[in-house]
Amino acid sequence: MRFERPHSVLVLVLLCGFAGVRGQEVVDRKPSLDELKLVAQQAAIPHLGGGNPFILRESTWSGAVEPGKARLIQVQLFKRNDYHFWIAMPDRKAAVNLNLYNGKGELLEAKNLSYETPNVTSLVASPSETGVYYLRVSLQTTVEETQPWTVIYAYR
Amino acid sequence: MVMNRSVLLTLAAVGFLYPVCAQEAPGRIDLNDPNLVIVEASVIPIPLEIFSSLDKLGTQDWSKHVDEREIRLDANRSRTAMLFGLVVSDGFIAVQAQDKEAVRRVGREVLRLASSLGVASSVEQHANAIVNGAGQGDWPVVRKELDKTRQTVLNKMTELRDDELVALVSLGGWLGGTQALAGVLKQNYSVEGSDLLNQPDLVKQLKKEFNTLPARAKRGKSFTQISQTLDHLESLMRADASGAISQGKVIEISLSTKNLVDSIYEI
Repeated sequence: MRFERPHSVLVLVLLCGFAGVRGQEVVDRKPSLDELKLVAQQAAIPHLGGGNPFILRESTWSGAVEPGKARLIQVQLFKRNDYHFWIAMPDRKAAVNLNLYNGKGELLEAKNLSYETPNVTSLVASPSETGVYYLRVSLQTTVEETQPWTVIYAYR
Repeated sequence: MVMNRSVLLTLAAVGFLYPVCAQEAPGRIDLNDPNLVIVEASVIPIPLEIFSSLDKLGTQDWSKHVDEREIRLDANRSRTAMLFGLVVSDGFIAVQAQDKEAVRRVGREVLRLASSLGVASSVEQHANAIVNGAGQGDWPVVRKELDKTRQTVLNKMTELRDDELVALVSLGGWLGGTQALAGVLKQNYSVEGSDLLNQPDLVKQLKKEFNTLPARAKRGKSFTQISQTLDHLESLMRADASGAISQGKVIEISLSTKNLVDSIYEI
């Protein structure tokens, strides 16, 4: 089955439930970055409501990463805010890691959340200082092919 | 291994997130390592993201920072792109101040500027949602639509290969938000709040993007001022050892950003 139009992807993704990533099971071609964004947004939905919701930004980062390799995303974060980053890759077997480093390159404590399949993950962090940080996207060697990825984020 | 079947079934049925320990990652990375691959695309924080942090220190009077300038357009698309970014940031400030009339005005101006940039059809529904949301005082919707408007214009311009305008919209948005933040801090200075202006790397990045724009995208008197102002801001917007930015520097940041914004509005 192929996704012919973005809205059919959305319907399928929504039908698949709030936290699953089953929308990808029916994709038999490489999904577009918009489709990856949708998968990441689907994982974000449960965090965007309730008493202390995150506010999702429309901006994204995207790229591709080889198995066993990593990419760094430079982000400006502000003290007193909480940040939640989500990443999605197309292959359900792709095990992706997200980690946050400060401007000195030191790994920071953060809460990692995992989802039904390892190709979607997220990270929650509360920076202790305002400044530049680096989000590290790394792909384990559970797959052989380079994976496209999309990162979205929210703050509160 | 024996596991409780009902627990497994529950987990499978809910199929949801659960906290796990951080996966193996190096405890330290050498940011000067030439083999590191840093993603080039930059995402500029929107003003509300910064205001959200400042408001945690106490209520601020954002209403004094809602701009009501008349926008006069000319044929300079680079200037229009900067104005677009500035007007969207005005919208975020108006949301923070919960000023319905100002947000409605922003909604209308956003559409006018988008028309001038040739992307009106992509923005129209968001602009209408901004105006309607403001009428109903539905601030979360207005906030979301403002961000969507901004992102839609950036995406459309990228699609149209107007990359230089993308950089200028982002720069305008950042400048408007920084002017408002510095203005608020100038009036109500606190050491804690001042750290929000600690953005030297972001300024450096914006400066780099601006400096690499072709000369044709930097025509007009305000554009000669941008490089100098960004140079100046890069040194000012750097916290001291205690993590603060002094009151004197905050005043200077406020003045520098205001002067630059004024020059962009002037024809």
